[in-house]
Amino acid sequence: MSFTLEQIHDKTKSYDWPFTVGDSRPKHPTKYIIPPKGKDPFRMLVRDYMKMEAEKDDRTHGFLDAAIRMRTTEKADPRLMEVMKLTLPDFTNAEFQAVSAAGGIIASVQNQEIRQGYQAQMMDEIRHTQLETALRHYYVKHWEDPAGYDIGQKALYELPAGLVGVSAFLHFNTGDPIDCVMHLNVVLETAYTNILVVAVPQVAVANGESALASTFLSIQSDEARHMANGYGTLMAVLQDENNIPDCNRALERYFWINHRQLDALVGHQAEYGATIRPWCYRDQWEEWVGDDFVSSYMERLTDFGLQVPERVPKVAEDVTWLHHTTAMALAAIWPLNFWRTPIQGPKDFQWFEANYPGWYDIYGKFWEAHAQMAEPGSGQIMMQQLPSLPPLCQVCQLPCIMPRPDKPETRIFDYHGARIAVCSEGCEWVFRNWPAAYGGRKQFWSLYHGWDLADVITKLGLLREDGRTLVAQPGIGLKRMWTIDDIRRLNYEVKDPLQS
Amino acid sequence: MSQVRVTPFGRTIECAEGEPILSAALSQGYFLRYGCKHGGCGTCKVLVTDGDLEDSGSSFALTRADRSAGWALACSSRPLSDCVIDISPMGLTEDEFLAGDQVETFETVIESIADLTPTIRGVTLRLVNPPQMRFTAGQFVNVEVPGTDNVRAFSMANAPSANSEIELIVRLFPGGQFSEYLKHASKGQLVRVSGPVGSLKMRLSYRKILMVAGGSGMAPLLSMLAALTQKKDRRPVTVIFGARTCEELYYIDRLKGLCDLSAQAEFVPVVEEAGHAWNGETGRVTDAIARRMGNLRGYDAYVCGPPPMVEAVRELVVRLGVREANVYFDAFVPTGAVEPSLTTG
Repeated sequence: MSFTLEQIHDKTKSYDWPFTVGDSRPKHPTKYIIPPKGKDPFRMLVRDYMKMEAEKDDRTHGFLDAAIRMRTTEKADPRLMEVMKLTLPDFTNAEFQAVSAAGGIIASVQNQEIRQGYQAQMMDEIRHTQLETALRHYYVKHWEDPAGYDIGQKALYELPAGLVGVSAFLHFNTGDPIDCVMHLNVVLETAYTNILVVAVPQVAVANGESALASTFLSIQSDEARHMANGYGTLMAVLQDENNIPDCNRALERYFWINHRQLDALVGHQAEYGATIRPWCYRDQWEEWVGDDFVSSYMERLTDFGLQVPERVPKVAEDVTWLHHTTAMALAAIWPLNFWRTPIQGPKDFQWFEANYPGWYDIYGKFWEAHAQMAEPGSGQIMMQQLPSLPPLCQVCQLPCIMPRPDKPETRIFDYHGARIAVCSEGCEWVFRNWPAAYGGRKQFWSLYHGWDLADVITKLGLLREDGRTLVAQPGIGLKRMWTIDDIRRLNYEVKDPLQS
Repeated sequence: MSQVRVTPFGRTIECAEGEPILSAALSQGYFLRYGCKHGGCGTCKVLVTDGDLEDSGSSFALTRADRSAGWALACSSRPLSDCVIDISPMGLTEDEFLAGDQVETFETVIESIADLTPTIRGVTLRLVNPPQMRFTAGQFVNVEVPGTDNVRAFSMANAPSANSEIELIVRLFPGGQFSEYLKHASKGQLVRVSGPVGSLKMRLSYRKILMVAGGSGMAPLLSMLAALTQKKDRRPVTVIFGARTCEELYYIDRLKGLCDLSAQAEFVPVVEEAGHAWNGETGRVTDAIARRMGNLRGYDAYVCGPPPMVEAVRELVVRLGVREANVYFDAFVPTGAVEPSLTTG
């Protein structure tokens, strides 16, 4: 039997192909009922999509080549470059988990239109992973202090700061594949896309670094595809009203979790990893999440039964303080980081107070004390001054001093014989509804309970090539950098606050 | 004849000498968002990126800063040369732009006319053909003044669920065409309306709501309040309704009733010239806001009424913490220089 070219074209574009080669059985079960026909607004075949992507890759790699000759890193603000040691691996990990997420969805749904969309996304996520790795390679070779860039991915999985992002992005490919779409495509890539891939490069350019912007704007150009995947999937599952309660539950869960982790980390980069701050993080959130996602995107979907997450007002309240508290906590535990902490000074205090009235009363004294302890000659670290280390939230991994250190909303309870701490009502709600997803997580402090801090640092490989100087430092441009001997002299013992 | 190039869709509209861009676009089968069609509301704002226009729109719908930035009102701008306009801020898809004007015309009959105050009438029109209108709370209709070629714009005051009728709140102006018509109008008379139009609507949001109305500006807010109540919306609402005297306040029981249905809604009437019997808020609405509301960070504000009131409230609420983008308003301006009636914007 032969077909005309026109028939083949029509069949290709009908997206109703049967499974003649691949296994049609879903690899991962889903509780959602998925109709056979999708709602993908792009309806573009992978083969056509890839031609565009190859062109984008060429341009970005071409710019990196030029950046070497233009010596862009020499013009970059050290604050940006240091905090990026945390932020960039977080991004790469998110992309990598998203590769797997897309694969999981492709292997689990029988709707060809949706599968085709996610195949394009899977290629995108691989492309993003490669682009970011190339950027980090460029920084390792050309930034004045590569220490930290070289261990980013390993450090992410072993250190408190890294575990925040790690625990966030695990949701992309763990559990029901449609729930994964809700977190990855709907919440992260739709609600937070501008915050992640527009505002972050904006901060980079404002602070003198263009290679990052070139990379991220190439990534950003793919996000419309991913948003469309999320929207198409959501519109498909919302066709069956039996799916609506699960959609709302998933949205409630992931909106909260995503806020906790992303607002903390990205706000930290935007304001503490910069000298020039183009606009305050809270305003970004109001515009892109509050107005664009809630008031515009969600509004279109409420007719289909989707509801605004109940905790949005609480998120809007906490987003004012969360990243300041995160920055403070990370500075307090600086020996366990893998970057040099930018010390905040009087000019920063002014900016923070102008944009977040009341900031100085909550955080100002901390930063003054941090500055005084920055040089190794001080013989002190902030961890010694704390009555105890803050427990880490079993769900979001942020220290339990959120949203503000003077008004923590910590909750501690027993679960299967273990003491569990969560940072908020939202995280407790998530934990109690999905205990299997979070109950087994080991906490960083419990792993090193009773250890000397110097031994923890050595065990985790947080020393520079000389074997003595710490990767992390409490400041940039110190007269002398802290060594493992300085830390050992402190005789500081790590104590798990939930055991002691 | 001037050619007006429309970006981002790359289409050209032919404008005869003296013809406004909006009417040319609609007559040639294109759609641009519009409301009052006489320069009062600002719904048809476009960005002029090239060419010269003559714009006779009201200064309220388009501020001096807007004009300097290149904005013009399509309904009241006439090209003086070939032009290029950018309509992307209207948020239309290409399909919507190419679909032409979808606004319907309805035949209605007067169901009732009530004296709400000495200068304000409540007019209820029953829809006959088509018998129902789907609209969003906050929108308005253009009402043809019987016996003339003129239209007047009025916001719906009823909830969208009551879609077989249109309830209007009409301020009377001496000599105004619609005002004169209403003097002799009676139940059962035919009135043609077209709509619904206008982009004012209750935004889905997590923020608290402040509604501020003056004069006949309560109409769209009343509709929104009813819609919110019907949807069992949980957001806290404060409704501030201002008038010069107690006699000029209307629908007080109805507003209180709607607010009583929600544990989180508060109704605050304010009068400028209070008598001895008045024990509520006094002064202008801005005085009441300043006294009662304090920090307004985390609020959406909806403001409808006479332009000076809208302007003063906008300025105040932004100063008290409402983001400029979250102030939504309709200015109720009289139509025409000679025969003021009323319109919404």
